[in-house]
Amino acid sequence: MSEATQTAGAIATHDHADQPHHPGAGIYLIVALFLCVLTAMEITVFYVPALKTVIVPVLLVLAAAKFALIAMFFMHLKYDSWTLSGIFIFPLFIAAFMLASLMMLFAYLAHHLA
Amino acid sequence: MAAHPKPLHVEPANYLQGGGVIGWLTTVDHKRIAVLYGVSALLFLGLGGLEAMAIRIQLWAPGEHFISARAYNELFTMHGTSMLFLAVMPLLLGTFANFMLPLQIGARDVAFPRINALSFWVSLMGAILLHLGWFFGGLPDAGWFGYANLTERMYSPGLPLDFWTLGLIVAGASTILATLNFLVTLITMRAPGMSYMRMPMFCWAIMITSILVLLAFPPLTVGLIFLLMDRFFGTHFYIVSAGATPILWQHLFWLFGHPEVYIIALPAFGVISEVVPTFSRKPLFGYPMMAYSICLIAFLSYGVWGHHMFATGMGPVADAAFAVTSMLIAIPTGIKIFSWIATVWGGSLRMTTSFYFALGMILEFTFGGLSGIMHASAPIDLQQTDSYFVVAHFHYVLFGGAVFAILAGIFYWWPKVTGKMLSERLGKLQFWLTIIGFNGTFFPMHFLGMWGMPRRIYTYGAGLGWTHLNQLETVCAMILGLAFLVMYINMVWSIANGEKAPPDPWDGRSLEWSVASPPPVYNFARIPEVRGRDAWWIVKYGRTGSRGLAAYMSGKPPQPSAADLAPPAEPIHMPAPSIFPLILSIGVLVASLGVIIGEWRIVILGAVTLVVAAIAMGFEYPTFGQESHDPMAAPSSGGTDVRKVGIWSFIGSECLFFASLIATYIIYKGRNIGGPGAEILEIPLTSFSTFALLMSSLAMVLALAAIQRNDRTWMRVWLGTTIGLGLVFLGVEAYEFTHFYHEGLSLQTDLFGQSFFTLVGFHGAHVSIGVLWLATLWFASFGEKFDGSRSLSVELAGLYWHFVDIVWVIIFTLVYLMQQVKGA
Amino acid sequence: MSRRAFSLGAMSILAAFLSGCASNRELPMTTLAPKSDLGQWIYHLFIEVTLWDALILAIVLIAFILAVFIFSTRVGEAAPPKSAASDLKLEIAWTVGPALVILMISVPTVRTVFRSQPRVAPADSLHIRVIAHQWWWEFQYPDSKVITANELHIPVNRPIRLDLVSSDVIHSFWVPQLGGKRDVVPGQINELTFEANVPGMYPGQCAEFCGDSHANMRFRVMVETPEQFAEWTKLQQAVPVAVDQITDASVADGAKVFADSPCTSCHRIDGVSKGYIAPDLTHFGSRTTMAGGIMANTPDNVAKWITDPQALKPGALMPPLGLRGQQLNDLVAYLESLK
Repeated sequence: MSEATQTAGAIATHDHADQPHHPGAGIYLIVALFLCVLTAMEITVFYVPALKTVIVPVLLVLAAAKFALIAMFFMHLKYDSWTLSGIFIFPLFIAAFMLASLMMLFAYLAHHLA
Repeated sequence: MAAHPKPLHVEPANYLQGGGVIGWLTTVDHKRIAVLYGVSALLFLGLGGLEAMAIRIQLWAPGEHFISARAYNELFTMHGTSMLFLAVMPLLLGTFANFMLPLQIGARDVAFPRINALSFWVSLMGAILLHLGWFFGGLPDAGWFGYANLTERMYSPGLPLDFWTLGLIVAGASTILATLNFLVTLITMRAPGMSYMRMPMFCWAIMITSILVLLAFPPLTVGLIFLLMDRFFGTHFYIVSAGATPILWQHLFWLFGHPEVYIIALPAFGVISEVVPTFSRKPLFGYPMMAYSICLIAFLSYGVWGHHMFATGMGPVADAAFAVTSMLIAIPTGIKIFSWIATVWGGSLRMTTSFYFALGMILEFTFGGLSGIMHASAPIDLQQTDSYFVVAHFHYVLFGGAVFAILAGIFYWWPKVTGKMLSERLGKLQFWLTIIGFNGTFFPMHFLGMWGMPRRIYTYGAGLGWTHLNQLETVCAMILGLAFLVMYINMVWSIANGEKAPPDPWDGRSLEWSVASPPPVYNFARIPEVRGRDAWWIVKYGRTGSRGLAAYMSGKPPQPSAADLAPPAEPIHMPAPSIFPLILSIGVLVASLGVIIGEWRIVILGAVTLVVAAIAMGFEYPTFGQESHDPMAAPSSGGTDVRKVGIWSFIGSECLFFASLIATYIIYKGRNIGGPGAEILEIPLTSFSTFALLMSSLAMVLALAAIQRNDRTWMRVWLGTTIGLGLVFLGVEAYEFTHFYHEGLSLQTDLFGQSFFTLVGFHGAHVSIGVLWLATLWFASFGEKFDGSRSLSVELAGLYWHFVDIVWVIIFTLVYLMQQVKGA
Repeated sequence: MSRRAFSLGAMSILAAFLSGCASNRELPMTTLAPKSDLGQWIYHLFIEVTLWDALILAIVLIAFILAVFIFSTRVGEAAPPKSAASDLKLEIAWTVGPALVILMISVPTVRTVFRSQPRVAPADSLHIRVIAHQWWWEFQYPDSKVITANELHIPVNRPIRLDLVSSDVIHSFWVPQLGGKRDVVPGQINELTFEANVPGMYPGQCAEFCGDSHANMRFRVMVETPEQFAEWTKLQQAVPVAVDQITDASVADGAKVFADSPCTSCHRIDGVSKGYIAPDLTHFGSRTTMAGGIMANTPDNVAKWITDPQALKPGALMPPLGLRGQQLNDLVAYLESLK
């Protein structure tokens, strides 16, 4: 851990004024740790029969958390210009909307299949 | 920043001069590329017009035998496909946007000049593919929206539909490339002082259109890939006997198809929003509302695709929802129409041909919009869809709206592009012929539709009361053809003998009129400082509009001064020409042809050409991956590198690509006939590969952190680790696929199998491309100059890599962990 | 000159549109003279929307004419205009105005959507299964076991429930006078519910492009009084005269020609052949049209059709059989005798 903090400090001194501040290895390792824990939780949810009823929302929340961690820290959206976040979040919104609409439309259609 | 290979001196007086044929083949100048787009689009516009005229002759009378049923079907298919993909879109985006964007925002080129060239050449290859059927057994004949399952090999055997499928995939890819370029250009390269709310409205339109393209073409591409796989690899995405629902194609197609309407309409609105203020000598009325209404139209356009499918039986709830969202679009559209009229109101009008067409567009488009409200009402649509009423409607929108705007734009910008004036006399003649021909052809179609004439019929019975109107339409279609002939004559005449154009022939408002006609290669000797909306207007007349009035009143509006037009004192760095875009696109053509004739060696030849050309583009500049701009050329980037904005835009587009694949998987996952179902997916194995991919992302950011502190050794180590973990992931996937194959689940087994393999397989292909990219980077890191200043190259590859990782996060959850959850 | 021409042109377009809607109401395939409840609901909605559209068009036209011809000058005529670049009140007006119109349109739209698509068929409705083929229509009456092609007989003033299925690609069932179309999608059962209220013959046509002979996929709907319909049903249920009891020599020879020909592998004639991929010919002689409704059912036309089907209907699956002379005449006589 101390080594990681050291590296982070080393980067800070190298920071150029015109470059957005990127986190150091320390942060990256913590995020990676979280990702592993979340994945372990996902797999646990899959294997625990008691959670069958809530499996969909729980898995979705866990996946969203992993998604957000990678996008914010590994892809630096937390540190970069808001424009970049916008370029990413708007398509995500449209994609989610499309996915949900198609699922509903085909759920209706399922009652009308020959 | 780093040095550029060839600082270009200002030898040629304008962009059209010098270079010879090779110069045009290797050009990366946005203006030359725009001209190339324009020439090809005008060619296909003429061809599409001739196709339409043949269609009209065939419909002259009941039982007419001018052409066969098959030929008729080919003609209306190619008329629609070429007019949309090869004429109207290339004219609006390829020509107008390409030429004018950099000029209007005060930039010297687009963000990625070589990718700009690439998108033209690839689009040309798409056009060639679509038309190759001429020589191989006939043109595509399933209609421009090619409804599955008519497009399956069982009902459309032979090559024509193969050419159509691949041609559209290729043309679509080129459009995505082109608009990605526009979006990044508009975000990062606006001249100092040009905030978003100071951009010309045309730029707004193109910016939003680019977003539409990036998010609308992926569903089409996915739909076409399914069709391709059905036709070539024995899958059954649209084959009913295998349990598929052909309606899936319609959803994917119209998810693209409705935004496509606005992909065409918004740039047309943009052109009108330039032409009307210029010739009214007034600023655009309600600029903020105009900009917001563009955004609102684009946003709504994703929620209305179902109105093309009211007759398919989506159920009353969906019908009602799509009806209401479709009607809502009328509100922002109305804002635009009223604002244009308000711009004209009180103006000092200059009645040029361009203005004529713009005014014509306002009325004709209004009419098309009003009949659009009728179709938005689902029950009414049941009587109108697939009848001539709809043909009338979309011609009022696409011709009355888009083509009128294109004609207004051609007359408006022709002097800037060619340095010659078009004949106003011929222009007015063309205008009146167009008005008569257009309304005479398409207005009666409303009645034919109301009287029950379905579209796409090559013949009709006598006694239905349709004959006279059809004959009127045929006559008027010939008049319309004549109008375009006048235009082509006018163009040739203008280039040969036209009057020389001054820099600012129309007393223009935006920056393109502040440079010479035709503009110099570098566009601006000095990057302009923008002090408000209508940047050039303010320079001429001052903020209050009082300066230079005397000159205006004497009929000679101010022109750019000699000092403004003087060549720069110092050489300007311009992007060097490149042959690789052309080579890459030839690779695309060769690979596509190989797929169609089923010769895998030719596919590999094409693919190798493509990959080699792509890597060569990467190494073309001494600094790996560097496009030819420096930070000074991207003044509005806020310090973010242009390439970073580019890769994020690409990632945004990819979201829709994977969403389409995931949607298909969810819809089809339960439909396993005979083969194993989703329970075959193994969690322990994929948990391991998921872990490997997550850790590869960690290694990737550590590599970035290393290069940022100038530590090349550790960067190589972490980059190598990333590649290694990526290969582990791919290895597990390969094992998994082989295992499934032995268990009896192959690509052809059933709908579950093919949608699983397609989704996971495309993700795997993305990982492979990522590995290839990282490996290239790894080798490049042994070069001399690969130090901390190059960390961006690593960051870009990393962004792509992490995106592939988060897609896997979704796939792992939705496909693997939710395997017991029922599909849609 | 040109200014006046411009406004005159625009005005005449509007006038032609409004008068056109009113005239020509009795064309065979018009949507403007509905003969069913569904058609009438749609028609009324259409008129309502058209009126709102006309209002909007009038406002736009008036504003346009005022802006271009009255409240503007031409370049060089006067001092340059004072530039008003926005006006909040106006902008709110032309946002809220259209929004209100849309509200006015969307309420009846949504109501009609739900009214015209009942989840369950109305009580006492007649169920008919419509099977679309490239390029002809098959109609099956599950209650009376009647199977026919290209001519749908229904009783007046009784709810009809069509189950639409396709045997190959997507088609669309459309009888303009009886209401809106409904696509016929393979792998899916679509429904259409309506009640015809005027007896008569109403032509229909496939409205979704379905391949080479899409234009030749026509049909007719005969709306009949309950008595006529019952009589027709009885006729269709009758078993045709057995081959060995046919009295007319030519017809008897024709029956043999049919029985020995490849016709039998695709066409069904009750008691003679069991083909099912082509139209049922058991009561062929009772139909008024043939070959996907593209021509009248006359001996000449039947002979022409048998000689070269592709010439009349490009892409038709029926092969030319090479029958000529007496054989052909006998076959035609036999087919026409199948009342």
